[in-house]
Amino acid sequence: MPAKMKMLAVAIKDPADGPGADDVRRAQAGDVDSFEQIYREHSPRIYALCLRLMAGDAQSATELMQDVFIRAWRRLDTFRGECAFSSWLHRLAVNVMLENARSDGRRTARVLPMEDTGKLPGAAKSSGIELSMDLESAIASLPRGARMAFVLHDVEGYQHQEIAGQLGLSVGTIKAQLHRARRLLRERLER
Amino acid sequence: MTHEVVRHLLDDYVAGDLTEDARVPVLDHIGVCAICRSEVDDLEKLAVQVAALPRAVEPPVQAWAEIRSVIERDARVERTVSRRSSSRLRAQPYALAAAGLLVALVSSGGTALYLRERAAPSVAVAPPAAATADPAGAATLAAFTIEENNYLREAATLADVLEKQQGVLAPETVAQLKKSLRIIDDAILEARNALARDPGNRTLVEMLSANYRHKVDLLRRTTEMTRSS
Repeated sequence: MPAKMKMLAVAIKDPADGPGADDVRRAQAGDVDSFEQIYREHSPRIYALCLRLMAGDAQSATELMQDVFIRAWRRLDTFRGECAFSSWLHRLAVNVMLENARSDGRRTARVLPMEDTGKLPGAAKSSGIELSMDLESAIASLPRGARMAFVLHDVEGYQHQEIAGQLGLSVGTIKAQLHRARRLLRERLER
Repeated sequence: MTHEVVRHLLDDYVAGDLTEDARVPVLDHIGVCAICRSEVDDLEKLAVQVAALPRAVEPPVQAWAEIRSVIERDARVERTVSRRSSSRLRAQPYALAAAGLLVALVSSGGTALYLRERAAPSVAVAPPAAATADPAGAATLAAFTIEENNYLREAATLADVLEKQQGVLAPETVAQLKKSLRIIDDAILEARNALARDPGNRTLVEMLSANYRHKVDLLRRTTEMTRSS
């Protein structure tokens, strides 16, 4: 039986403004230990996002999070301090996830229609992860498109326009996916 | 506003996305329609539950070690690739394609040399430390697999972009690019096969990693050229 995930109620501090600003500067200069401090600070939030987007599949979520931090390390020199470091990192994480989603989407589209993604091996039903809240399980059981729209909009607070732009879809399509996600969630939570 | 029209606006109403002109008639309708009122209640309840979701989850403890392994290998590979030559290459499309070709040939030659050495009768000479399989070999390969997936995704995305934009490049540049990519792909395949036979060999991992990096780099720079054309 997999270990129950430890939910953390942590406040996300901003290394660019707070005590972690030195870590960012040192990491930009190539200091891996400082980058590890940044990882310790931000990985719980990024991992939570990855888990929800990957339907609770811990292995896929871990790989995705690792991709995000490897790319963050490689692109650290592009962070100029024009925005909060946490925003920069979060934006990068979402971009990596959406890029992966696009390429994964091309692959899975050849095999399964979007409505059937719950049957994929990584779907929540087969993940074995104990998402202790009913809502988490319901989100994980959503079809892929609806889940991405819901997590990015309702959980992470992205605008319709931003999600549509990143996914190459219309705002209308995103709104329709959101409507569908909320309807399915309400139905599943009522059961 | 009819019931059907209002029903389609309830998500935006709850999210606060409606203009004042649209919000007032929806509000009026909700006051008299039990179905819509119930739906609004459900949507608001869901929003409250979503707001209470935990925003952070502790990742698996071993995740950082694998990230660190990739980062440290990056640094080693970085040292072997001359930054000076790559900055010179930015200026010339043909030099760019030629660089890809050269890297591929060197990598391919390196792999071939390595394979020939392995096929030759053993001699009493200690192998270079970097080329020796070590107990951390499995971890090295596991960490590389993450990176390999990363490269494959990035290369696929860039190749898609390039395919759409290649019309702006001269036909001879496209032909040279394709030739370079074929050679790099052959070198990747060769190194990948060698690594499959010797999974703990760090030299092969670095060689393969360098091939992937140069493929992505060649695609990225060519894509940038098409955008600036």
